[in-house]
Amino acid sequence: MKISKYINTKSVFALIAIIGLFVNNLFAQAAATATTAVVDPEKNAYVPKMVTYYLLLFLLVCIVIALIGKILSVYDLTKKVQGAKEGFSWDKFNGILFLLFLVVGLYGAYWSYTVQGAQILPESASEHGVKIDEMFNVTLIITTIVFVVTHILLFVFSYKYSYNKKKRAHFIPHNDTLEKYWTVIPAIVLTILVLLGFFTWRDITNISQDGIRNAIHIEVTGHQFAWEVRYGGKDNVNGRKNYKLIGNLGGLNSLGLDLSDKSNYDDLTVSEIVLPIGKPVRFTLGSKDVLHSFYMPHFRAQMNCVPGMATSFQFTPRLTTADMRDKVNDPNFNYFLLCAKICGGSHYNMKFAVKVVSQKEYDKWLAEQKPLVTAAMIKSYQESLAQKDTKVADNKIALNN
Amino acid sequence: MATLTLNDTHTAHHDHAAHGDHGHHKETFLTKYVFSQDHKMIAKQFLITGIFMGVVAMTLSILFRIQLAYPDESFPLLEMLLGKFAPEGRLDPNFYLSLVTIHGTIMVFFVLTAGLSGTFSNLLIPLQLGARDMASPFMNMLSYWFFAIASAIMLATFFIETGPASSGWTIYPPLSALPKAMPGSGLGMTMWLISMVLFVASSLMGGINYVSTVLNMRTKGMDLWKMPLTIWAFFLTAIVGILSFPVLVAAVVLLIFDRSFGTSFYLSDIYIAGQALPNEGGSPVLWQHLFWFLGHPEVYIVLMPALGITSEVIATNARKPIFGYHAMVYSLIGITILSFIVWGHHMFVTGMNPFLGGVFMITTLVIAVPSAVKTFNYLATLWRGNIRFTPAMLFAIGLVSFFISGGLTGIFLGNAALDINLHDTYFVVAHFHLVMGSAAIFGMLSGIYHWFPKMFGKMMDAKLGYLHFWLTFISAYLVFFPMHFMGLDGVPRRYYAFTEFESMSEWLSVNKFITWAAILGAVAQVAFLYNFVYSIFWGKKTVQNPWESTTLEWTTPVEHLHGNWPGEIPTVYRWPYDYSKPGADADFIPQTTPLSETMSSNLPHDFEGNEESERIQLDWEKQNKKELVK
Amino acid sequence: MPTYPQETDRYSLQPKKFIVWLFMISSFIFFAGLTSGFIVYSGDNLAKQLNVKMPDAFIYSTILVIASSISLQWAYIQTKRLNFAKQRLGLWLTIALGVAFTCSQLYGWMVLTGLGAFFTSSNASISFVYVFTLFHILHIIAGLILIIGSIISSYKAVPNVLNIFRMEISIVFWHFVDILWIYLYVFLLLNQ
Ligand code: HEM
Ligand SMILES: [Cu+2]
Ligand SMILES: [Cu+2]
Repeated sequence: MKISKYINTKSVFALIAIIGLFVNNLFAQAAATATTAVVDPEKNAYVPKMVTYYLLLFLLVCIVIALIGKILSVYDLTKKVQGAKEGFSWDKFNGILFLLFLVVGLYGAYWSYTVQGAQILPESASEHGVKIDEMFNVTLIITTIVFVVTHILLFVFSYKYSYNKKKRAHFIPHNDTLEKYWTVIPAIVLTILVLLGFFTWRDITNISQDGIRNAIHIEVTGHQFAWEVRYGGKDNVNGRKNYKLIGNLGGLNSLGLDLSDKSNYDDLTVSEIVLPIGKPVRFTLGSKDVLHSFYMPHFRAQMNCVPGMATSFQFTPRLTTADMRDKVNDPNFNYFLLCAKICGGSHYNMKFAVKVVSQKEYDKWLAEQKPLVTAAMIKSYQESLAQKDTKVADNKIALNN
Repeated sequence: MATLTLNDTHTAHHDHAAHGDHGHHKETFLTKYVFSQDHKMIAKQFLITGIFMGVVAMTLSILFRIQLAYPDESFPLLEMLLGKFAPEGRLDPNFYLSLVTIHGTIMVFFVLTAGLSGTFSNLLIPLQLGARDMASPFMNMLSYWFFAIASAIMLATFFIETGPASSGWTIYPPLSALPKAMPGSGLGMTMWLISMVLFVASSLMGGINYVSTVLNMRTKGMDLWKMPLTIWAFFLTAIVGILSFPVLVAAVVLLIFDRSFGTSFYLSDIYIAGQALPNEGGSPVLWQHLFWFLGHPEVYIVLMPALGITSEVIATNARKPIFGYHAMVYSLIGITILSFIVWGHHMFVTGMNPFLGGVFMITTLVIAVPSAVKTFNYLATLWRGNIRFTPAMLFAIGLVSFFISGGLTGIFLGNAALDINLHDTYFVVAHFHLVMGSAAIFGMLSGIYHWFPKMFGKMMDAKLGYLHFWLTFISAYLVFFPMHFMGLDGVPRRYYAFTEFESMSEWLSVNKFITWAAILGAVAQVAFLYNFVYSIFWGKKTVQNPWESTTLEWTTPVEHLHGNWPGEIPTVYRWPYDYSKPGADADFIPQTTPLSETMSSNLPHDFEGNEESERIQLDWEKQNKKELVK
Repeated sequence: MPTYPQETDRYSLQPKKFIVWLFMISSFIFFAGLTSGFIVYSGDNLAKQLNVKMPDAFIYSTILVIASSISLQWAYIQTKRLNFAKQRLGLWLTIALGVAFTCSQLYGWMVLTGLGAFFTSSNASISFVYVFTLFHILHIIAGLILIIGSIISSYKAVPNVLNIFRMEISIVFWHFVDILWIYLYVFLLLNQ
């Protein structure tokens, strides 16, 4: 077990030399690439300077720490030599630090709750979100109490019972009553939370057939790296589509609409999602390529977009954009939709504007929207149909011969 | 039968020869340090590789933290170091995702599964149970080398043209299945998959070995209820691994077929790069089910050994028996079982049937109960203790703190309704970094400080340990606590920059703060690394039982032997937590001390209903009282 | 009454045999993962269910693999009776049956592709059939390697304990692979 045999001055120097060579090479290489890449010389000089600067700073810190360490051990020694019973008590020291950590930490947590807590999402802009927020608050209160109490116990015990030579720990291997209490009480609290959560979850996800029919139907399709949104139009139905048709009709069919389905023709294409207040909306979600996640934080709405499988999320907006601007005191506030499931390089940049307006404004806006199926697409579709017809006819002739 | 007995005696003889005199073993450098089959050496190999991988993963996190803090600034140094991955001194968005992915993968699997379980299961199972080595030392060696090769492959992906895998450590298809979807899904992903298959093979070989050793090779007297909690934790962890890792392999195999052979297990209706793929009928959700069936147990694979180590360290240094030993074991068993039926809580908003979501919500919150029990038991162990703050103890207390903080936020995420708005946000990042990342890392560090003397025969410097602890503890909270609030503001994870959304830019200053706190934490690790390396070579020599602990590993000599004990393996007579027992002279009674030598401190439950011993004890007490009266 | 392992047990074969059992468990979990993947996949969607008939070759395979288990068991009994010639005979027979089984499985694949049920089908239920059988064949190969190990120890006159130990491991594993196939086959029949 003597690796130290292999460690002698010679090998250490050899190692240092090797590392030095390596670093040298690295810099040489970097310099080489730098010169070929035509970088301004100022930048070139700046990097090594900065690195040296930080390294020196780090070394300085190390030296200071080493010095403090030395001073402490000398202090310890002299105290012992002077015949004091003990040197410095690190046990007491750490105990006190824990107490300090508790006080400062609790204050820090309080600060975080108030300052950073003020930066979180404003009140929910959807109806189910209000229920979610309520439950969030209940959970937050319970967990905060537990958080504070357990930490007080943990750190106060650490301080109070830090090592004392004269004392002995209290031998207590178990206490069945106590253990029963702290098994049963968390179990009860959790049961309450589970039930609350379960019913809220069911309300959000279990929507009656009627509820579905009466909602405004909007389809959102994700792809790398944007969203495509279509409204159901007059019939409030998003027509059939097939991914194999994407890009046909002369490249115009970006969603792969199946034009043999009549309900496609009144579907509307939009450049922002506009919702009327107080009306349920049902988003049908899909993806053309990889997973995305439809996430509208202000509405407490999230659902993954899965290629090959339609998912959905339904909610009812309760605050218009204008209402929310008042609430957050920011005239530039806007709702948005973003992507919350990693989907590639520009995952961080899949924004889509969302607006909630009054019914009147909504109707007006809706009337201005253009159908998704353009005249050019219809023309191209009919041409392809005609082609197919002739092909079928050709085949028939071929068969007859 | 005759041959059988002969054979046995023969091996027994061989034993004595081997342990009496080491010169007979021809050990070369290769068999001793490289292809060693000795569990203690393998433990050290796992440890050092694990620490190395930890440093790598930490460096990656600092790189991407710099990007998050300074999204608009250019760092020429980055370009020098990373070349084409950081054009103009700014990280490439795809490479940012690679960094996050490899950071997560290495931390979860290579550091906290192999580095933690691999090190301490290997070191402690034979030593604390009284075995000469593992059930199959050869498999044990293979386990390490598979791990080493897996690590090498994982790191090698940084040197290929298209960069490492970058679809997150959960590698959800189709993103991970389609090389066209991102550069990292090309060769980098192939290598990621190969590396993980090797890694799983390593983990399985290790885990199978641990279970077999625990069940078959305990010394005389070591029944299951006399095992230290560390062993219970490693044992149950290994079982979880055996039952869940194969499912990951199954999932990965199907993904490989999808990637390279054109099957459609996970792929359907995809139009990418101007082209519709032929795959139809596959289901990306299938991958998520299979992955999380491993993935969730995996977080307990990471955490349980840390909890076991903490139990041991807290009891030893509080000089008190662990409070509620049986409850501790039962809650570990409870966690083991429940961990297999909660995976769906990662899938509440993936389009899974909402009814299933409700079911998984219930099972998830049930698992909080055993976790709560463990926490309270730790607190009760500290109560009225006589706490020695060794660095190991500090880290153990730190673990309890993180376990509480991170566990409590789990109650939010386990609630399907709340998860709608929290899923895939920074709230999740904060949650798992506290409960799994920080807690398990602290458990591992605690174990390193505690068993360093056993591994290397030297002591680590305590004061540097204190410095290391306090800096790490503080910076971990500074890094991860604010992230909760970012999540509550709806900031999604795996975002390259927060610059594209007006509302997120208010977090930029917080991001800078977090990054500097993370850098502080990273620099603090230098204190540890220096301490670790320095102490191996030049540290103070340790005594045999530096922490005055009761467990068996401290009865072995400081100098390592093949076979651990020079003579016979000691017999065990009592449970491992007889600290500060009233009536005993010392404040600890080793497991090897028979009850007959501690008549003055024996308690009724020590006899486990053995009437003969109880009678002897009663007689002794009567007699003693008489003497006292005289 | 707990039995405490003796120290001399350390090099004995008990823990190693246990390792084989644990390996079989994890290998079974692997297949359980695949089959539950199948269930999740095919779920309640009719279009995704297994819509081809399993080839008859799989029935012959089943018979072959059961026969091979019997022959291996016979070889084991002969080993215990120190009848090494018969042991070798049994082992060779088992190997032959194992190889025949593999061929029969491959023939099954041919029949399947003949029916138009390809590996890269747009109905992954069919791909699952190939995956099941492929990984089962890998297990068969592992089992064959173990049996070859047993044959070698039979020829090489190693101590009989070791001979028996290797036989036991081969046997346990082979029966496992046998049962595994029956499990997979029944699973497929139930789902077709
Ligand atoms: C050095 C201290 C650490 C820092 C500063 C850090 C920071 C981060 C950050 C900011 C992310 C999220 C990046 C993003 O979403 O864009 C992340 C992801 C992650 N980290 Fe850490 N982390 C640290 C240590 C750990 C540890 C100890 C673990 C062990 C469990 C860990 C496991 C993970 C995992 C699993 C992910 C998710 C990767 C993914 O999204 O695919 N990290 N880390
Ligand atoms: Cu995305
Ligand atoms: Cu989980």
